[in-house]
This record gives sequence, structure tokens and C-alpha cells, in this order.
Amino acid sequence: MDVPFPLMIVAGIIGVFILLIIVLKSLWRVAEPNEALIISGMGAKGKHHNEDEGLDFNIVTGGGKMVFPAFQVVRRLSLDLREADLAIECVTHQGIPLGLRGVVIYKVGDDPASIANAARRFLDQQSDMNQRVHNVFAGHLRAIVGNMTVEEMIRDREKLTQLTRESSGTEMEKLGLIVDSLQIQEIDDPTGYIGNLGRPHAAAVESQARIAQAQADEAATRREQEAEARKAEARRTSQVQQAGYSAEVNEAAALARQAGPKAEAQAIQIVVVEQTKVAELEAQREEQRLQATVRKPADARAYETVTIAKAERDARIAAAEAEREEVQQNAAAEANRVKLSADAEAERVRLTATAGAEKVRVEAAAQAESTRAIGQAEADATQAKGLAEGEAVRAKGMAEAEAIKARADALAENQDAVIGQQLAENWPAIVEAAAKPFGDIDQMIVLNGAQGLSETLAQALSQGVAGMQMARTLLSGSNNVLGGNGNGTANGKKAADAAAAEESATLGSATDD
Amino acid sequence: MADNRMVGKMGRVTGAIGPKGIGEVMIPVRGGTEHFHAYAADREDHIEKGAGVVVVEYHPPRTVIVTRM
Repeated sequence: MDVPFPLMIVAGIIGVFILLIIVLKSLWRVAEPNEALIISGMGAKGKHHNEDEGLDFNIVTGGGKMVFPAFQVVRRLSLDLREADLAIECVTHQGIPLGLRGVVIYKVGDDPASIANAARRFLDQQSDMNQRVHNVFAGHLRAIVGNMTVEEMIRDREKLTQLTRESSGTEMEKLGLIVDSLQIQEIDDPTGYIGNLGRPHAAAVESQARIAQAQADEAATRREQEAEARKAEARRTSQVQQAGYSAEVNEAAALARQAGPKAEAQAIQIVVVEQTKVAELEAQREEQRLQATVRKPADARAYETVTIAKAERDARIAAAEAEREEVQQNAAAEANRVKLSADAEAERVRLTATAGAEKVRVEAAAQAESTRAIGQAEADATQAKGLAEGEAVRAKGMAEAEAIKARADALAENQDAVIGQQLAENWPAIVEAAAKPFGDIDQMIVLNGAQGLSETLAQALSQGVAGMQMARTLLSGSNNVLGGNGNGTANGKKAADAAAAEESATLGSATDD
Repeated sequence: MADNRMVGKMGRVTGAIGPKGIGEVMIPVRGGTEHFHAYAADREDHIEKGAGVVVVEYHPPRTVIVTRM
């Protein structure tokens, strides 16, 4: 061991010093900025501040202190921010039920009084502090909400903090706690009150939004339509111009196509014009020729004829006038002569007539006298003769009338006898008439001899008998005819009566009218 | 009873102090700022938010009486 003694001493001192530091380090307790040391035990009596008198433990903040184990106990109280969640059902000032979820942020107060209060209550139950605060604050929050309306709760943060302070501040002071903040995180609104609160505004905003959108849409549509209209207008203008140009092109093409035929037609036209001129010239020439050859001679002849006719007419007029003059003179002479002769003749005739008339008048008187005498004589003779004849006729008529009457009576009595008598009277004439056919016969051959002849005669006679029969029939028929006439008269009388009756009926109907 | 270090400090009202309600003031203390429950020294006084105040009394743990500065 060659270690020098002083070195050992130095090493020993250093070792002791180190040991001492280690020991002191183990005994020295330092408070962190966010915590307080609560030291209780021997010698730990309120020496921290002069207001801490009566405090039976030591509070160390922001510093260090020697703690002697087995004599003293040190505990740490956290001054950190703590928060407690709140979830409660409560009722507002208006009686509206709400479910609130919030958070209260608190800490142990920094002053020694608060630390002391808290240390006495929570020192071993720091982990339960949130639960305690939650229970305390639930009641406070109900009271706070009960003094507020929903609108205030939402908008008036100042009032919320004010009420929080008033209702819970003092009680939290007892616990040594201070409330930094109370936040309401969620409001469960089963009645839909909050939703309804916002609905009018939401509806108004939505309405405004829709109005604005509609206006914008309208403006946009208007602009679009205007743009469409302008586009259509531009298209129309373009198409019109295109059509115009196309028409011009077509026109030019048509003109080009027509140029050939047109030139040809113009050429033909020129030719025709020239030909027309030629024809006109020819016509003029012909006219001139006709003027020379036809018209002029005709005019000359006409003039000649007219002149001659006029001369002849004048000659005839002169002759006629001379003749008229002559005739007039002759007529006057003749008239004078005739008048003289007529006067003479008239005188002569008048004298003759007077003589004749006297002669005739005398002769006529004589003639009348003789004629009257002759007539008287003849009239007397005739009268006598007539009287005689009249007597004779009357006598004869009386006799005939008697005979007819007798015959008529007889006829009425026995018609057949009368007829027979008449036949007997006329028989020769009848037979003659019957035999007349035979009389015209030159030679008659009778085949069965004399007997035959007698048969023939008998036959003729029988024909006469048959004629008598016929005559009788005729007579009876004439009687019937006479009766028929009587009937006719009767009928005529009836007809006359009927006509009279009809006439009166007609008169009656006329008066009725 | 009163903390001498608190009395005379100036602070600012963060919650309106009225005759009925409890107000709140922020007061710089212990190197930071802490908020205390505040009452007006004149009980009828009304101190609006943002006004400057002076602590006239301190009631531990967290209550101060203030007056308008």
C-alpha cells in the first residue's frame, strides 16, 4: 500500500461528500410548478405564511423542502386542469325538456387557502375528484338551466357564466376548486324546439335563395333565348344572303346560257328588220306603180265621166225647163178653151135635162094610172078565183079527213083487214113488181116444166105474202114509233120541269151568297 | 385575515359586477393572473366588464372586494 495518506484523506472527504449529497438528495423534496407538496408530521406547522396560522400541515408550492422520513409525510396535490363530463336531463325556464351534454373545467385553486381546502377533502381521492365534481355540478347545472331560456342558453354566454358563478362559485370555494370554464357541448332537443326556432329564418333564407336562383335562372334563360334569337337571326341573314348570291349566280348562269340563243335571235331580228324594210320598199314601189298605172287613169276617166254627166244633166235640165215652160203655156190655153166649152155644154145639158124631166114626169103619171087600173082588175079576179078554190079545197079536205078517220077506226079495229084491203088494192102493183124480174128475162127455161113455172110464181107470190108480213110489222112498228114520240114529249116536259127547278136552286144559292 | 399582498392590486373586470350578481375580476398574482369572485365595495355600484378595479379587501380563498379605479 503505497497510497499516500493525504490522497486517501481527500478521497475519503470526496466520498463522504458524495454520500452526503446522495442522502440529502433522498431527503429533499421539490414541488413541480403544477403541484403542491402537502407535508405533515413533525414540525410541519403553519410557518409558510403568516396567514397560515392554525394550519397544521405545510404547503409547499414552487420550491423544495427537506423531509425527514419516518417523521414527516409528503403528498403531492396536482394543480393541473381537470375536466368533468356532464350529461343531464333538465328543464329550461320555459319548461322545455332538454338533454345537455357539457364539460366543466376546473382546478384546485393556486392560493394556499384553496390548496388547504382541497387537500383536506381530496388528498387521497384525487382520482375520484371528477365524479364528485360531476355530482355537484349536475345539480348546479339544473339550477342554471332552470333560470335560462333556450335562446339565452344558445346566445347569451355571458349570462351562462354569470349564473354558473353565482350558483356554484361559493360551493366550489368550499372545495378549494375554481371553475375555469363551463361548456355546453350538445343540446339534445326531443321536442324540436331549436329546430323550429331556426325554421322561419331557414325558410326565409331558402326562399331568398330560391328567388335568387329563379331570377338568375330567368336571366340566364333570357340571355340564352336572346342569344338563340340572335343566332337564328344571323342564320337567317346568312341564308338570305346565300340565297341572294345563289340567285345571282343562277341568273348569271341563265344569262350566260341565254347569250348564245339571244345573239342568234338578235341576228335573225336584224335580218328580219332588213327584210321588212325590203318588203316595205317593194310595197311602196307597187303602190307607186299602181298609182301610176291604175289610179291616175281611173281618176282621169272618172273626171271625164263626171264632166260629161254634168254637161248632160245641165242640158237635160235646160230642155226640161223649156218643155215645162211650153207645157205651162199650152195648159193655160187649153184650160181656157175647155172652160169655155164646158160652160157651153153645161148650159146645153141643163136645158136638155129640164126638158127630159118634164117629159118623163108626164109619162110616168100616165103609166101609173094604167098600171093601177090593171092591178085592180087582176086583184078582183084573183080574189074570186081564190075564194072558189078555197071552197073546193076545204070540201075535198073534209072528205079526205072523213075517209082517214074511218080508216083509222077500221085500223084500230082490225089491222089485218085494213092491211089486207090495202094489199088488195095495191095487189096488181105488187104482182107487177114481183114479176118485174121475169119481165127482164128474154127466155126463161123452167127445168121442171109447167109445174116448175107455177112453183116459181107461187114462190114470187109467197114472197109477196112475206112482204105483207113485213108491211104489217112495219105498221106496228110505226105505231110503236108514235107511242115513242108521246113518251119523248113527256120526257121533254120532265126535263123542262127539272131545268126550272135547277134554275130556282141556282137563284136560291145566289141569294144565299 | 386579509392578505396584504392582494390588497391594493389592480385588476380588470371579466364578469360584470352588479348589486345582485357576483362579478369576476382577473388579478395578477404569484407571477400569473388568477380570477376571483368580486363584489363591489359600494354594494349599489355597477362595474361593467372591462373596467379597471382595485382590490380593497381579500376574503380567502377566492373572493375580493373591489372598487372602481
